[in-house]
Amino acid sequence: MANIRIGFVFDESLNAAFLAELFDGDTIYAETVFEDFLRDLPVYWQRVDAAFGNENLPVLGTCVHTCKTLFGYVGFTDLQELCQQFENKCSVSRMDDLRDEYHLLTERKEKAQRVIEKEYNRLREYNEANG
Amino acid sequence: MKLSCIIVEDIQIAADFLRKFCEKSDMVEVKGHFLNVADALEYLDHERVDLLFLDIEMPGASGFDLLDSLTYSPKIILTTSKTEYAFNAFQYHVDDYLKKPFTFKRFQESIQKLQQKVSAAQALAAPAATSPAPSSDTDFLFIKAEDKLIKLKKDDILFLESMRDYVKFVTPARNYITYSTLKNMEEKLIGPNFLKVHRSYIVNITKIDDIRGNTIYLLGNQIPIGKGHRDEVASRLNIL
Repeated sequence: MANIRIGFVFDESLNAAFLAELFDGDTIYAETVFEDFLRDLPVYWQRVDAAFGNENLPVLGTCVHTCKTLFGYVGFTDLQELCQQFENKCSVSRMDDLRDEYHLLTERKEKAQRVIEKEYNRLREYNEANG
Repeated sequence: MKLSCIIVEDIQIAADFLRKFCEKSDMVEVKGHFLNVADALEYLDHERVDLLFLDIEMPGASGFDLLDSLTYSPKIILTTSKTEYAFNAFQYHVDDYLKKPFTFKRFQESIQKLQQKVSAAQALAAPAATSPAPSSDTDFLFIKAEDKLIKLKKDDILFLESMRDYVKFVTPARNYITYSTLKNMEEKLIGPNFLKVHRSYIVNITKIDDIRGNTIYLLGNQIPIGKGHRDEVASRLNIL
């Protein structure tokens, strides 16, 4: 019986339908993008933390804007939307009003990072097995 | 024929996707990728491309600052993750707006639409170039509007405004809108009286009433002077 290659299925917490269209079956490229995400997100989030620590709302908004784009490219479209809402509030709110949301966003970011680490490893294994 | 482009984008993942899509489409050739407006403008000072993929929010100057500084009019596709910029995109007469992250299908639709516009504009320009139309140094020109060729005296023209795929001619009596590009009209209006003052405007300098700051006033109309055009405007108008 011929081996049938089963397509890669993304984690259910990601927007799998969007990722399927975005990568169009190119799991090698998906692996590269996920690797880039894991490399770049900590650097960009460090700037978010710094801006929050300095209570610089305009810069905080800009830094979250950058991370928002990254989340979109790995299928976290709901987290992307959350970042957009936070970014909008940075231009109209005071720092004290944003503290709880900032901590929530940080938790979601950390959870997202763990999911993408897992997905990256799964992609690597899948690509090695099907290479 | 492939369109040449540059990518102005500070997020590497986004730029990589764009480059990959350009290669996959086989319709666009990427000449360079720049992380900020300053580097992109330095490149555009000595090189021309057909198309700019332009992010808005970047370190330093924004994508709109780059548009204000351009000295010619390439096609522009804005790439951003903020829908709030759609209105600004309209004001700057950009050719399309792609919300990140966008798929190859969306990208392809945008490029195909652009290719069709470019081909249509070339097809329209070609008959005019070969017809017995007047050369650029006559005192009138013909424009195609309202299903006919309309003769316009150059001396009647106050200014021209780019409106995406159309050009609006403003005269004291009325306005005319023709399917063309400002670049095509620039070539027809070579001469001492017409000057491009902004990526979207050419003015008849003999009709200028006054200039206040970076705004030209002609018969009640206000025309901005683009950042990239200020030196030439000052030179041509002998502003001391």
